[in-house]
Amino acid sequence: MKVIGIETSCDETAIAIVSGHKNQLKVEKSVVLSQIQTHRQYGGVVPEVAARKHIEAIFPMLEKEIAKDGSGIDVIAVTAGPGLAPALRTGVETAKTLAWLWGKPLVPVCHLEGHIYASWLPRSKRILPFLPITTPKFPALCLIVSGGHSELIIMKGHGQFERIGETLDDAAGEAFDKVAKMLGLKYPGGPEIARLAIRGDKTKFDFPRGLLDRQNFDFSFSGLKTSVLYTLRKMNLVSDQERANVAASFQEAVVDVLVRKTMRAAKEYKPKSIILAGGVAANIQLRKRLQKKGREARIKVFVPPFTYSLDNAAMIAAAGYFRAQDEKNFVEPVSLSADPNLDLI
Amino acid sequence: MTYETHSEKETHELAARFAATLRGGELIELVGDLGSGKTTFVRGVAEALGCKVKVKSPTFTVMNEYPVDNDKIKKIVHADFYRFEDPAHLEALALGDYSDDDTVIFVEWPDIFGEGILTPTHTINFEFVDEITRKIEL
Repeated sequence: MKVIGIETSCDETAIAIVSGHKNQLKVEKSVVLSQIQTHRQYGGVVPEVAARKHIEAIFPMLEKEIAKDGSGIDVIAVTAGPGLAPALRTGVETAKTLAWLWGKPLVPVCHLEGHIYASWLPRSKRILPFLPITTPKFPALCLIVSGGHSELIIMKGHGQFERIGETLDDAAGEAFDKVAKMLGLKYPGGPEIARLAIRGDKTKFDFPRGLLDRQNFDFSFSGLKTSVLYTLRKMNLVSDQERANVAASFQEAVVDVLVRKTMRAAKEYKPKSIILAGGVAANIQLRKRLQKKGREARIKVFVPPFTYSLDNAAMIAAAGYFRAQDEKNFVEPVSLSADPNLDLI
Repeated sequence: MTYETHSEKETHELAARFAATLRGGELIELVGDLGSGKTTFVRGVAEALGCKVKVKSPTFTVMNEYPVDNDKIKKIVHADFYRFEDPAHLEALALGDYSDDDTVIFVEWPDIFGEGILTPTHTINFEFVDEITRKIEL
């Protein structure tokens, strides 16, 4: 089955073609607009703006990759939400039009579900490419961490999700970006903080681990953000070393809370695999710590390649592929609308 | 009037009193630095107006919409210009399109490019005093 995935929920416009056989997926093509040289000027914030430009860009992207009559494509998958309404609409309306024109089934996908299914995508450079891809076993405990999300979800089977925790205020990736700004670092903040933290002493500051003492699996990073701000304000002239120490201690506080809560959830829910998803999955400290704790608990930890951790359409196509196994998930093009508050069911 | 709050709960209580004065159609600017209580305030207003959806930071989504259960107000739009780099983008966001008699719009970081971009009905100023204290000027 060949699935075309379309993703326009936030800053990126992305399309991808993924083919699947049983639970083995292959990415035929994955394109993200902001990564294309010629369209760099349209990338970045405000999908509404980008939406206007992206409408202009999306069709050339499609034309290059797919036959005009949609031959070869079996299913169209699109991010229906959550996200920014005008941005979502670009993708949704495009998908609806294609489904209607080509007479192919249409599957709406939840963006969060996409992040989880990124772990079903093969790594581009595989040591033994002829061997089947190892995919997560159910139940899978999923930690989704990005600029816009920080959630813990139990996946009992395909399409069967239960949210067990989420952020009450800021997302982890957002905390990285805002603290980076406080430290005078460039955007995107995550990699910049990680780089600065290498030179820093993570024990110099004991920043608050939001909600760690509570027995629930929710997160809170707003207090950590204000604690770092307040600490920097109290320090008069901040030396380079002190900045590095703040970065290291901040990163440690985030990683500590994410890993501890995830492992606490693992103890209670006894998953067969742990999935780390979302842009913050690129953070090496987070990955290393989670993989180590996973090994100790004898639970395999899945981390998708970086390209599939950031917003992309291959993950949406992957989610669409599994959704398409049940025809009840197809929708009439005319009835599909973007839903900025769409949630995992 | 300037108020000082010493906890999230106190900020919510102040926000609830403010929410009681809303009739629908307002455009409210929230001006203040990182961590000064802007989103916490919106959360307090939303709760007071009977919102069941969780109010989270709109920084990444740019704009969140929350359905609300109140006589006069049916929706809260919660926007955040923090990530904007180009004034032209603000125009493209077409915030005005969301304006309605039964909608209240909150905007964080409306001053990202300087003043006078929006024509608000209210401007609330937030100040981070110390770890537990905020000054809120309604």
